[in-house]
Amino acid sequence: MIPPGMSPEDRDALAAEYVLGTLEAREAAAVAAALESDAALAEAVARWEARLAPLATLAPPEAPPPGLWDRIAAALDPAPPPKARGWLAGLLDPWRIGAIGGTALAAGLAAFILLRPEPEPRLMTVLLTDRDQPAWLVEADGGGLRLASLNPRPAPEGRVLELWALPQGATAPTSLGLIPAEGRISVAPSTIRPSPGMLIEITLEPPGGSPIGRPTGPILFIGRLARATGT
Amino acid sequence: MDAATELAPLLSAVATGDRQALRAVYERQSVRLFGVANAILRDRDSAADALQDAFLRIARRAHQFDPARGTPEAWLAAIVRYAALDMARARGREIPTDDPALGDQPVEPEALERVSASAEGRRLRQCLATLEERNRRGIVLAFVHGLSHAQIAAQLELPLGTVKAWIRRGLLRLRECLA
Repeated sequence: MIPPGMSPEDRDALAAEYVLGTLEAREAAAVAAALESDAALAEAVARWEARLAPLATLAPPEAPPPGLWDRIAAALDPAPPPKARGWLAGLLDPWRIGAIGGTALAAGLAAFILLRPEPEPRLMTVLLTDRDQPAWLVEADGGGLRLASLNPRPAPEGRVLELWALPQGATAPTSLGLIPAEGRISVAPSTIRPSPGMLIEITLEPPGGSPIGRPTGPILFIGRLARATGT
Repeated sequence: MDAATELAPLLSAVATGDRQALRAVYERQSVRLFGVANAILRDRDSAADALQDAFLRIARRAHQFDPARGTPEAWLAAIVRYAALDMARARGREIPTDDPALGDQPVEPEALERVSASAEGRRLRQCLATLEERNRRGIVLAFVHGLSHAQIAAQLELPLGTVKAWIRRGLLRLRECLA
């Protein structure tokens, strides 16, 4: 509860610390609740959000775990349709286990689950613009690379975007092809494999791509493949 | 042409319950926003939970986005920060941090150069530069890394009361400077 007799100065300071994040749980919850009905406080909070917003660019961009969108979409559905039974549930169906021979099957499953190798950490990078805004997400996909635009914008008139990879230790980048206008491309180059530390860059080239097999235009975006930590 | 002009109509569509529009917002912004949450929580699993929570809030509150009050990016980042801060509080952040690496890199003077290159970012940077070093660090540690007063005090090796007073004074100075 925000004290009704609070001075305008103190209310603005409270709004500022709410936005900064330094209020303790109870104070923060009180401000959040008051915002619903207290238009002046909401206005003060909005102003502080605008003042401090540019600081958010100090947080390094990082790709979220794959599958997070699916989790969000599932959480948004008030009554999700019943899930199709997965293969595991099907196999564990008591009737089938009875028919096939439960013990052997269960043992086999347990071994499968225990012995299944840990998934390899994914290789990925986010290519940044010269203003440190995330522009492209690059992920290794088997032996190939998948590129998706995070902030699609067309190449300048009469020019194309070309994707390049430079494995560590290599002296010249290898072209991975031209990036189509929709900003998504999957490539599986035969000569190189995605590896940690590999530089990925996008250059601006004449129509049809660089005529000489190496970049001729400016590097617009660059990043280095690294193992994604965590999930 | 820039992301803002594209995000605002997407948010209007989200306000009508358009799931594809929300997904488009996610695809354009999730890398940046996950970074915001992860800087506060320093744990990818918690950051993912915070981002999920934030997108549920975004879906519910998209109608509250007011372009007159700020950019769509700032609005989205604020929601993500509040979700992450709630989680940090629930985790018990009122204890001092013992993370030695925390905040070293982002609060170096040159790191402030990375504050958004927009006109607002430039002004904020100039105003931050007028603050005392420890004051500026305290504000960055709180905003970017979600540190509590107690954690900032431990990080800067200053008494808790001093830190509280400095941060408040620093915020007032910023407000005057930005006015």
